[in-house]
Amino acid sequence: MRKTTDLLPGTLDMLILKAVSLKPLHGYGVLLRLKQISAEALAIPQGSLYPALYRLEHQKLISAEWASSENNRRAKYYTLTAAGRKRLRERTAGWNRMSAAIAAALNTKPEEV
Amino acid sequence: MGFHRLFQRQKFEAEMSEELRFHLDKYTQDLLDQGVPPAEAARRARLEFGGANTVQEECREASGWQTFDELRRQASYAIRLLRKSPGFTSTALATLAICLGANLAIFAVIDAALLRPLPFPEAHRLVTLYNTYPRAGVDRDGASLTNYYERRGQIPAFSSLSIYRPESMLIGEPGATERFESALVSPEFFATVGVAPLMGRTFTEAETTFQTDHVVLLTYAHWQRHYQADPQVVGRPIRVDGLAYKIVGVLPKTFTFLSSAAQLYFPYASVPSARGHLRRHSGNSITMVARLRPGATRAQAQSQIDAHNAVVEADNPQAKMMAEAGFRSVVASLHDDHVAGIRPILLLLQAGVGLLLLIGVVNLVNLLLVRASGRTKELAVRQALGASRRHVATEVLVETTLLTLAGGLLGCAVGAAGIRLLVALGADQLPLAAGMAFDGRVALVALAGAVLVGVALAFPIIWFTLRASLHAESRGGTASAAAQGLRHAFIVSQMTLAFVLLAGAGLLGQSLRNATAVAPGFRPEQVLTGQLSLPWAKYPGSSPQRLQIVERLGRRLVELPGVGAAGIVHNLPFSGKSNMTAVTAKGYRLRPGESVRGHYYYSVSGDYFGAIGLTLKSGRYFTARDGDQRLCVIDEDFAQRYWPSSDPVGQQLFSGSTESTPDQAFTVVGVVSRVKQVGLTDDTPQGAVYFPYRFFPQSDFYLVARARISPESLALAMQRAVRALDADLPVTDLRPMQTRIEDSLLTRRSPTLLAALFSAIALLLTAIGTYGVLSYAVTQRRREIAVRMALGAQPGQIRHQFLRVAFYLLLWGTTLGTIGAWLSGRLMQTLLYQVPSFHGLTLGGVALVMTAATLTACLVPSYRASRVSPSEALAE
Repeated sequence: MRKTTDLLPGTLDMLILKAVSLKPLHGYGVLLRLKQISAEALAIPQGSLYPALYRLEHQKLISAEWASSENNRRAKYYTLTAAGRKRLRERTAGWNRMSAAIAAALNTKPEEV
Repeated sequence: MGFHRLFQRQKFEAEMSEELRFHLDKYTQDLLDQGVPPAEAARRARLEFGGANTVQEECREASGWQTFDELRRQASYAIRLLRKSPGFTSTALATLAICLGANLAIFAVIDAALLRPLPFPEAHRLVTLYNTYPRAGVDRDGASLTNYYERRGQIPAFSSLSIYRPESMLIGEPGATERFESALVSPEFFATVGVAPLMGRTFTEAETTFQTDHVVLLTYAHWQRHYQADPQVVGRPIRVDGLAYKIVGVLPKTFTFLSSAAQLYFPYASVPSARGHLRRHSGNSITMVARLRPGATRAQAQSQIDAHNAVVEADNPQAKMMAEAGFRSVVASLHDDHVAGIRPILLLLQAGVGLLLLIGVVNLVNLLLVRASGRTKELAVRQALGASRRHVATEVLVETTLLTLAGGLLGCAVGAAGIRLLVALGADQLPLAAGMAFDGRVALVALAGAVLVGVALAFPIIWFTLRASLHAESRGGTASAAAQGLRHAFIVSQMTLAFVLLAGAGLLGQSLRNATAVAPGFRPEQVLTGQLSLPWAKYPGSSPQRLQIVERLGRRLVELPGVGAAGIVHNLPFSGKSNMTAVTAKGYRLRPGESVRGHYYYSVSGDYFGAIGLTLKSGRYFTARDGDQRLCVIDEDFAQRYWPSSDPVGQQLFSGSTESTPDQAFTVVGVVSRVKQVGLTDDTPQGAVYFPYRFFPQSDFYLVARARISPESLALAMQRAVRALDADLPVTDLRPMQTRIEDSLLTRRSPTLLAALFSAIALLLTAIGTYGVLSYAVTQRRREIAVRMALGAQPGQIRHQFLRVAFYLLLWGTTLGTIGAWLSGRLMQTLLYQVPSFHGLTLGGVALVMTAATLTACLVPSYRASRVSPSEALAE
């Protein structure tokens, strides 16, 4: 079995925003997309996906619309709103800054101190 | 939070279930596609998804539904609780419905009369101007035509200035004429109030002289009713006072000038002499209306008017006399001025229903407190099990608000019925009150008030609940002293408020009784009165035609079967008219600082004195043999003022503010009793002079007939008799004199009835409150009573103990109530007629009634206390 990593707190929202920023997705689609783009490396708890989606919708970062899915069944599709796009940009930049800083800190060699 | 949100909530649930099911189905399908066996696939999908209930709960919370759900739960809990105690709930609802409904009904009147702006654009800029001569005994004399012509365009603070005068006009073809309330207005009147005609045009400056003034504007109602809303009506001819007029326009539906009943509007035409400086002080019941320029204030207008008056009066030889009479032109807000007479009584009634509501609320607080005491143990257990203080507090708030909202809705129904009751009591005859209605605005105020009451009710209950459950008694011993003290304080305040209300109603009742007991100065029984106006075209000025028809009218009326005496007067008492004129007694010297006085004057014909039933004090009445002699009859006030120590009969007087040539003098032939002209409570000794009609041939006058049969049955005969003399003359406003007098008491009688109703309800509520609290105390203290009885206490002792408490509360309530009644009596003083603000008899009566009500309320609980069976109570 492949090794998976638990999500850091607060990162699920960011990943969902990223997933729906590429194309409108239903909840299950978000799950598949996250598995796919993380190359199955991240463990997405299925149960906490929906509360996160509803929270983001309530915060008007994503919007939802009912449409028919691949096999003609009705499904709720999520898209990124303008506010969501802005939030994603901010969070991505913030994440990049932090991970760069942490990486730099962790890669520090004794002679650099 | 309405049905909309409830509906959204259901939609949310359905969509969430569908979305989650979709997820599970897709995942299961994917597992099946990977070759997992069906039973295993379904199991794994569910397992990996986690607890569906938890997920759904988290989703609801994430979407912000938890507050809504919580409230809904508490509401349904509260409804369950309320339904479990129908006695309490129905008492509370009835209390709220009556108290809120009463407030609503009175508020509807206040809203229509005082609060709602007049239906004109920027109505706050409209003012009225009237002349006052306070030291001559004339507080208000309208404005004169001269004032209008001198002022218009001259006062910078006004953007426009106009005049309005009520009039009645004969409309229609001979034999089918009808008299309609009308108004004469200056050309800029409609522009001043800000109304444009629905069709046609308003009046022009050229139409303010006779002969060119034969044009008319119809009100919307008149156009609908008499022209079937004919769109071609403009330009059509119309017969007015027997002359050919032309309809030039129709006014919009929303247009009513104050409380005017005018159906037709005519231009105010006049001759140049009527506009001159000699007529500056001839008020003529003209209402002057002006619009303040944007930014201009009433104070500016007032000072400009004062300055303008000073300039124009410079050429007036009587200026000094006018100044001595205290002459001034007052600029007042049009709206405030129109309702000034009813504002105090309306505010008093609102204060009364406000007190009633307060009593109702205190009653509810007490009932709720009693209920909360009963639930102390339950709440203590719930708090021990983890219910938060906030949770308990919102629960109380939700319960009281629900209760008051339901009460508010019922109150709306009571209020709507109350408005109908007010109309039956004549409220719609008050200025502007015809517009009162139960509308959205009033309902909104009601529901907002209900929510406010609910929140206000919640606080003491929350305080008590949280406090009580902190140190909840584990076993039912004696009730917490603080809670009992609070309940007693509420009962005392309730008694105080009820006492104040009862005393107020008592004072109004005394005042009404005093007013009703006043003799009008004549014998009104069996007297029929009706109005008649002679059209100018057929009966001009002091023409022989006019004098002839008046004389023939007097003769014809007395010949009618059933008529004892008949006559004519232009200034009928209790008709709303109070025509005054300056009269100068020959040889009378004004003392320094004394002003010429205005006196009532009456132009009479036929046997007016006999018809109205005056009492002759000395001398004689006019007779047919007097011919053209200049004679007059005065009343005792007039005689007392000018000839206090000599015989007034044979003395002479002049019409006007100065003595003129001897041939103009009128000789006094008789002195009659004093008559109440405006109302029974008008005690000003104004003085009155009666002149033969031929010297003051007014076109508008009243027919007065003393009947030997019931006056109503005479009405038709009177109308026929007049039509027989001139087919064009309808008699209007036909009413027995007695009815006029009764109607004049409307603003005293109806408020008194309402106050009596309010205080009866207040007394009932107080009795219910006292009963509730006392019987609760008895229930709470059953064990204590039982122990004492087991130790040998007599039933009488127990009974007396509870009655003592009641007496103690009553003593406090009565004492505080007496102080409150004294204070409120002082506030009411101006509304009372010959009743002191501290009226011992009334207060004593109120105290007696309060005592009786309280004792009745206490008897049952104290009797029950004395019947507690020790063995049963202790075995519980």
